Amino acid sequence: MDTWLILLFNSIILFFLTLIVTRYMKKKSLSNITPFDFISYVVVAIIISLISLNIIPNIYFGLIVLAVWILMPIVLDYASMKSKWIYNIRNGKERVLIKDGKVMEDNLSKERMTGQEFLQALRSKKAFNLADVEFAVMETTGDINVSLKADKKPVTSYDLGKKVALKTEPQTVILDGNMLNEGLTNIGLNQGWLSTELENKGVALENVFIGQVDSSGDLYLDLFDDMIQVPKTQVKEMLYASIQKSQADLMTFSLDTDNKVAKAMYLKNAQKLEKVIKKLEPYLLR
Amino acid sequence: MTVGSKVKQTLATLKGSEATLRLYSLQERDKEASAIYAEAFQEISKIKIDLEKRVGTIEFEEPQYKGN
Repeated sequence: MDTWLILLFNSIILFFLTLIVTRYMKKKSLSNITPFDFISYVVVAIIISLISLNIIPNIYFGLIVLAVWILMPIVLDYASMKSKWIYNIRNGKERVLIKDGKVMEDNLSKERMTGQEFLQALRSKKAFNLADVEFAVMETTGDINVSLKADKKPVTSYDLGKKVALKTEPQTVILDGNMLNEGLTNIGLNQGWLSTELENKGVALENVFIGQVDSSGDLYLDLFDDMIQVPKTQVKEMLYASIQKSQADLMTFSLDTDNKVAKAMYLKNAQKLEKVIKKLEPYLLR
Repeated sequence: MTVGSKVKQTLATLKGSEATLRLYSLQERDKEASAIYAEAFQEISKIKIDLEKRVGTIEFEEPQYKGN
């Protein structure tokens, strides 16, 4: 056989082999791999290119080596799922670099990290001030993760004692001007509903690039023609405002009327409505 | 505007809010939120009934403003 035919044949086979094999390898982003992972990837890549270029005289030798370098990491992955000991050998252990706000110089030197590098890593985690850091740890991938002191952490709604409504993921119902039945059925709506909503907004289906429905059933549209302004759904804000208006009206009536019974009734209902408003606030104004 | 028509206007606003809340309580997928909407809807229905009675009384007392 001609050499070029062998090369072509080998390369095509290996191309698909690599494609399949990488499917079975652990999913890791390249920035998150340990040095060992990196080396095993590189070795696999080199072996594949050597076989594909027919540099290895006996192709079976090449395939044996390739199998070892592909299978061993997979075996180790499964083994480290079962045993903590093997996991530690494969991945190493994370190292605490700041504890209780104090830098652990010993651990820093074990990782052969200079103070400057350390500060740089902290800065990349938005911790510019060492005094703000409560805890920092170097992961096995070499990443540094930082936990700020409690009073320097970003404020959450929990800190403010404010209730926020749960938001489930939105469903995409229109893509490239086509209705997506899957998204619609996921939220229990149908094409009729979508047509009505589009009609209400005065938008043609063909003009919609992306349409999403959030958990409360509000439709958000992005159009191909960016000159057209889609009316933003403000039903919730309007609802909140109109309930508030009713509450204010009831208060006014209770002040206006001279009839004792009516006064009491208005006042009672105004208070009821105020409670309703308090409860609805996190859901309607978000 | 007479008192009667003012109350009627508020009643209409309440009815609108009630309907919207009802819609949201059916549309919302999150159970908790849906329950809150339903609760608010029921509260407002009660208030609405109270107001309707009041409108009836006002119309009875001052029939000249009836229908405004």
